[in-house]
Amino acid sequence: MKVLIVDDERLARKELRRLLKAHPGAEVIGEAANADEARAFLAQSRADIVFLDVQMPGENGFELLESLETVPHVIFCTAYDEYALRAFDVNALDYLLKPVDPVRLAAAIQRAESQPSGASEGEEAAEPAPRTGPLHPDERVFVREGDRCWFVPVRSVRLLESEGNYTRLHFEEHRPAVFRSLNAMEERLSPDTFFRANRAQVINLDFIEKIEPWFSGSYVVTLRGGERVELSRRQSQTFRARMSL
Amino acid sequence: MIAIEPMETPRNTGLEVRRYVIAQLAGWGGFTVTYTMLMQLTQPMRFSSICLFIAQNFIGLLLSHAYRTLINRWGWKKLSWGALIPRVTGTVLAIALLWTIADWPLYHYLSEGPPIEGMKLSKTAIFIFSTFNGFWLFMVWSLLYFGYHAFNRARRAEVDRWQMESTVKEAELRALKSQVNPHFIFNSLNTVRALIHEDPATAETMVTRLAALLRYALQAGQLETVSLERELAIVRDYLAVEKIRFEERLRPTYEVEDRALGLAVPPLLLQTLVENAVKYGVGGDPTGVDIVVSASVEEGLLKLSVANTGRLSSGGASTGLGLRNATERLRMLFGERAVLRLGEKKPGWVVAEVEMPAKGAVRSGVEAVA
Repeated sequence: MKVLIVDDERLARKELRRLLKAHPGAEVIGEAANADEARAFLAQSRADIVFLDVQMPGENGFELLESLETVPHVIFCTAYDEYALRAFDVNALDYLLKPVDPVRLAAAIQRAESQPSGASEGEEAAEPAPRTGPLHPDERVFVREGDRCWFVPVRSVRLLESEGNYTRLHFEEHRPAVFRSLNAMEERLSPDTFFRANRAQVINLDFIEKIEPWFSGSYVVTLRGGERVELSRRQSQTFRARMSL
Repeated sequence: MIAIEPMETPRNTGLEVRRYVIAQLAGWGGFTVTYTMLMQLTQPMRFSSICLFIAQNFIGLLLSHAYRTLINRWGWKKLSWGALIPRVTGTVLAIALLWTIADWPLYHYLSEGPPIEGMKLSKTAIFIFSTFNGFWLFMVWSLLYFGYHAFNRARRAEVDRWQMESTVKEAELRALKSQVNPHFIFNSLNTVRALIHEDPATAETMVTRLAALLRYALQAGQLETVSLERELAIVRDYLAVEKIRFEERLRPTYEVEDRALGLAVPPLLLQTLVENAVKYGVGGDPTGVDIVVSASVEEGLLKLSVANTGRLSSGGASTGLGLRNATERLRMLFGERAVLRLGEKKPGWVVAEVEMPAKGAVRSGVEAVA
């Protein structure tokens, strides 16, 4: 597993690097002192785990994550029980308190190893992250709305709705909006799983519960989760062929 | 701790005036009606006597209103009972005489004889009797009036005292909380642990400085004042520790006049300002921050200032806790004679300034230990 350490204090980075020596499975491939450096690094190389300090000069850890299209597995490192970290669901979050306890570090790494993390399996691990192809269903996006945050695996999003410059993501019982257009989002989604239902909505085919014929050859699809989506007439034809109805 | 003049609680003057009018009308009206009815029961009065009585009491009402205006003008409500009694007695006697004199023409025009059939009264007797009556009536009026205000004042003082107490408690609690910044402690411990391997000698110094800092925060926080020299030593320890953490991103300098060193300052005040400068300076700019700590004496005032490169955070609210706390401690110690200002004095520099009376520091046992 490839590790990136993001912390504004040199000695803090050094300390973490020293502790990680005990884990041969985790290889530190880079360090960054601020959000800009981290972003530049991630554009060039792919990291499986990012150790991320929340408080940094300039952009903080959250702002860095928001600016990334997809995020690696993140382990937050903080000196003190950070109010900001309470924005997460408790079990969705890995965080370590500084000075880091080696036992907790081992547990966090183990958890990271056991989690599916995008395209890291196989031999193409050394390659930079693909910038153009569709996202792997296991890749995650970081979403923040108000004072709540989520790491959302692409696979778990059942519906994307356009709201002007924003796109509202429906997953589990949440529906936060991200500042990205639906068109831009759709470009990066795998056409095997995601289907453009009409001008304003993209659905996840894995979540279809019911398909009903509607007027003049169109369809209405009900998703697990309850949303009813009406397919446009043109998309209904494509849909019929896709689903061999 | 120094007592602070309790703040004047905003009074609902409209309500007070309404209460006064009602009390006056009810008092005089009630007195007139009750007295007349009691007299009717025992020995019926003439109709003309009743009219006279009503007219007299109406004049009484006017006189009492004038009396109240004088009370307010002379500020008698603030006097103690001892100072009040001779003043009130004299004034009330004068009012009683005035009342009798004002009533005199009424006796003449309205009265068709003594109020009760068969009563024989000389003019002198009427004069004395009437003055005597007026005197006691106005003494009772005064008692009620000043009694009501004394009661009100006592109640308000109590509320003020509660408010003061809770403000002081809150400030103490906040002071306690902000003395030791957990972020600073744990980040410093993290740095020390890294240094143990990289540079054991620096790790050693850092632990020593950290210990001095924590001891000072725990002990000196309870003192009212310490010498600037003592406070400055801790500021140097603090900045040295932070310098190890932030390395070249933190660049402190000092401009301190020697004659300022012996003066008294509230403990952890300068430290709070420096901590603020580090927090917003280093936190705001990845390239780091210059910090200038200075102290000087001018015209009997001790001037402390902490300047850091950067901009004043736009909201201003975020700087809150530490500075509010510092302001409060200054106010408790020096009242209006101390000021704390935060602003962008010259472009690109945020400056926190404190001015307080220059007083020599008292050397205490705790300070010597710390």
